[in-house]
Amino acid sequence: MNQEGRLHPISIAIREIADIFGRMGFGIAYGPEMEDEWHNFTALNVPEDHPARDMQDTFWLKPASGEFARPDSSDESGVGIQGEQGNVLRTHTTSVTMRKLEEMAKTGATEMRMINPGKVFRNEATDMTHEAQFYQLDGFAVGPAGSVTLAHLKGTFDAFYREYFGPNTKVRFRPSFFGFTEPSVEIDVWFEPAGKEGKWLETAGAGMLHPNVLRNAGLDPEKVQGFAFGGGLERLLMVKYGIPDVRLFHSGDIRFNYAFDADTK
Amino acid sequence: MKVSLKWLQTYFDAPLPSAEDIALAYTFHSFEIDEMQGDLLDVKVLPNRAADCLSHRGLAKELSAILNVPLENDPLRDPLPEHAEGHLLRVGIEDPKKCLRYMGALVRGVKVGPSPAWLKEALEAVGQRSINNVVDATNYVMLNIGQPLHAFDAAKLVQKDGVYAIGVRSAKEGEKIATLSGEEYGLSPHIQLITDAHTDTPIALAGVKGGKAAELTEETSDIIVESANFDGTTTRRAAQALKLFTDASARFQNRPSPELAAYGMRDVLALIISIAGGEVAGVTDVYPVREEVARVAVSHARINSLLGSAFTIAEIEEVFRRLGLAATVQNDVFTVTPPFERTDLVIPEDLVEEVGRIIGYDKLAPQMLPALATTADQNRFRGMERMKDQLVAQGFIEVSTQSFARKGDVVLANPLDKNMPALRTSLEANLNDALVRANYVAPLVLPPNQKPKLFEVGTVFPKEGEFVELRMTERVPAWGENFPTVDNLSVAKLEDYGRDYQPVKHELGAYQPFSVYPFVARDISMWITDSPEARGVVLKIFGKNGGGILQQVQLLDQFTNKEGRQSLAFRLIFQSFKRTLTDEEVNTLMADIASALSAEGFQVR
Repeated sequence: MNQEGRLHPISIAIREIADIFGRMGFGIAYGPEMEDEWHNFTALNVPEDHPARDMQDTFWLKPASGEFARPDSSDESGVGIQGEQGNVLRTHTTSVTMRKLEEMAKTGATEMRMINPGKVFRNEATDMTHEAQFYQLDGFAVGPAGSVTLAHLKGTFDAFYREYFGPNTKVRFRPSFFGFTEPSVEIDVWFEPAGKEGKWLETAGAGMLHPNVLRNAGLDPEKVQGFAFGGGLERLLMVKYGIPDVRLFHSGDIRFNYAFDADTK
Repeated sequence: MKVSLKWLQTYFDAPLPSAEDIALAYTFHSFEIDEMQGDLLDVKVLPNRAADCLSHRGLAKELSAILNVPLENDPLRDPLPEHAEGHLLRVGIEDPKKCLRYMGALVRGVKVGPSPAWLKEALEAVGQRSINNVVDATNYVMLNIGQPLHAFDAAKLVQKDGVYAIGVRSAKEGEKIATLSGEEYGLSPHIQLITDAHTDTPIALAGVKGGKAAELTEETSDIIVESANFDGTTTRRAAQALKLFTDASARFQNRPSPELAAYGMRDVLALIISIAGGEVAGVTDVYPVREEVARVAVSHARINSLLGSAFTIAEIEEVFRRLGLAATVQNDVFTVTPPFERTDLVIPEDLVEEVGRIIGYDKLAPQMLPALATTADQNRFRGMERMKDQLVAQGFIEVSTQSFARKGDVVLANPLDKNMPALRTSLEANLNDALVRANYVAPLVLPPNQKPKLFEVGTVFPKEGEFVELRMTERVPAWGENFPTVDNLSVAKLEDYGRDYQPVKHELGAYQPFSVYPFVARDISMWITDSPEARGVVLKIFGKNGGGILQQVQLLDQFTNKEGRQSLAFRLIFQSFKRTLTDEEVNTLMADIASALSAEGFQVR
């Protein structure tokens, strides 16, 4: 009889995270990796001419027929056709949040909590800390006006990191900026790796969902509100386990699965 | 934005706290600090504040609000002077959407020369190079209040009937310009140019960089000073197309208020006259559309209900006062008239953020979300994990591979790797490739003679549309003869399958790096009088003679022959973290091991 196989470390992490968030009422949502401009950018209050939409940051897909017509500021041809919607490889799983918010508007729900783990893509050169494809853990909690606040975001992450990283963990917020949240914060966590000095790590961006995002989903920002957050999963694992190179994750190399001290149930 | 603390201090009567405390103040109330070095702070100004905070004045104002220390002076609140009208300079803007305002001043009789020491020091403190008094004055005012400025040598422009003419227009296809630093750039129509309108000759890349044609020299006497506002997107695209990123383009692309141009002009003219002499002959101001700043209102209840706080009206009023936002309160509603430079304050939630960050997010007590009436729906996820758990129990290893492929039905417009322009239509190719490599490295991670079996769950992108594929490198006996090695999980009823399932929890230990260099495996067997002690001696011999590159020892085989002699066979795996091993060196180590074993009385077979 063969010995057992092994899960990929990302699967192991998502199970642990799903379990912790599950106990706080969060379900798990999925969405397409090939996303339209609406769900990836426009609905999320990312302006038409925002640098994130540029070809040097986002992978755009060639339409089945015809010429590609996005602004390509890296060549000199300049501004593309206004108003034309293209498809991209999603740059964040906040696109899944958008889809779930639209679903809420359709069903009339006023309350929902989800985490969206999944692969995302960024058009950037790869090195030890950058990959063009990686996993992101996005999530949101929405409820009737006044019921889900920035203080709840803090409480949620306090609880999450205490379970995920250990009891000595602390969470702090710093001001930040994202188109889809207002106010926006950066979530830092105090992490003490075994036998090493503790330090503050920047782990996720977050904030209160921007009223334009709720409106774009068909929800009334006077009636519902909520927080949203997102961060890279590989980065979290690299910190937690001391993994030196992000490119190991999606290399298809089984030695990566077996490179951890022990796999205990 | 590089900030000099000495420069910041000029805004305050009271001595500022230490650099560390200033850095903390910014970090927790405004912006991250990229770097700190002596008098210098590198502040990572957020995109929504780049309109007003790419300046010492903007950052001083922030610090004033955070520390509750008043500004000793505020150039943006000081009155604007009345300039003589610029009859001697005409300005024409082709597209007012791309140039929102253009102020040009004719200054006569300046003496271009070195800057005074204080100015040189101020610029050098933030990593800028002193050029001459006039250019330094334009840079100083930009770094001080955020308005990019430029000075042209008037003598290099054509005068008609005693009048100079400046134009702002799109470049023509194939038109060229040489910039101040001497490089020549080929242009295209979406790049805006400043021209000598009498001759239609380009003299600057609008909002990006000045041109060689009207460069200042020591002979320069009359200058035309520009304080303008160019559209953010146009400037950003131009800078990107030209791959020319300047202090000016960084500011314009963040859309500072066109109002700022007048303050920039006021300050730069005053500074030029004080350090280079001369006299203002007139200022021309073309400002096609002046937009009023809209008031923003937010209720007391809304602020606390978004933040989850219990801030009082007085505390909130205090925040707005410190920020200089001129708030009035009526019926628990704050109405704010943002100063012109705060282009980021537009909706009520923008004000909520101001309250949260200035009071400090550390003042928010964490709260747990209330329990929900329904349980969290993770059924689909659990269904998927149930399948994975079964595969792992059957000895399968999960891998994750790249989504890009050489060929496919969906093609990227801008692939990172030209050889991988498409998205995978199936996991098959990647998984086969992973299996080849897994077979090779199996001796490193699997028990002897166990063949690796792999699976992957990943999105694939065939013509019919993307779906989540599960693929195995071989059949799964437990799933029956008919279950194929591939499954479409997007259509599988995973919700039902996961409803009552709890995925197995694993805990990983610390990561141990593995070598990327090839390994060499060698087997050795010997006659032995087997006992734990004897095995200990053997292992010690391996360790001592392994040359520091013996990574693993696996027991391959053991048996006792008819005569009662016992045999053990081991597989030794050699691998270096630094290089590829040669056969010869491993042969030498194996020979050493064999003779050490013989010396201890173990007969190598």
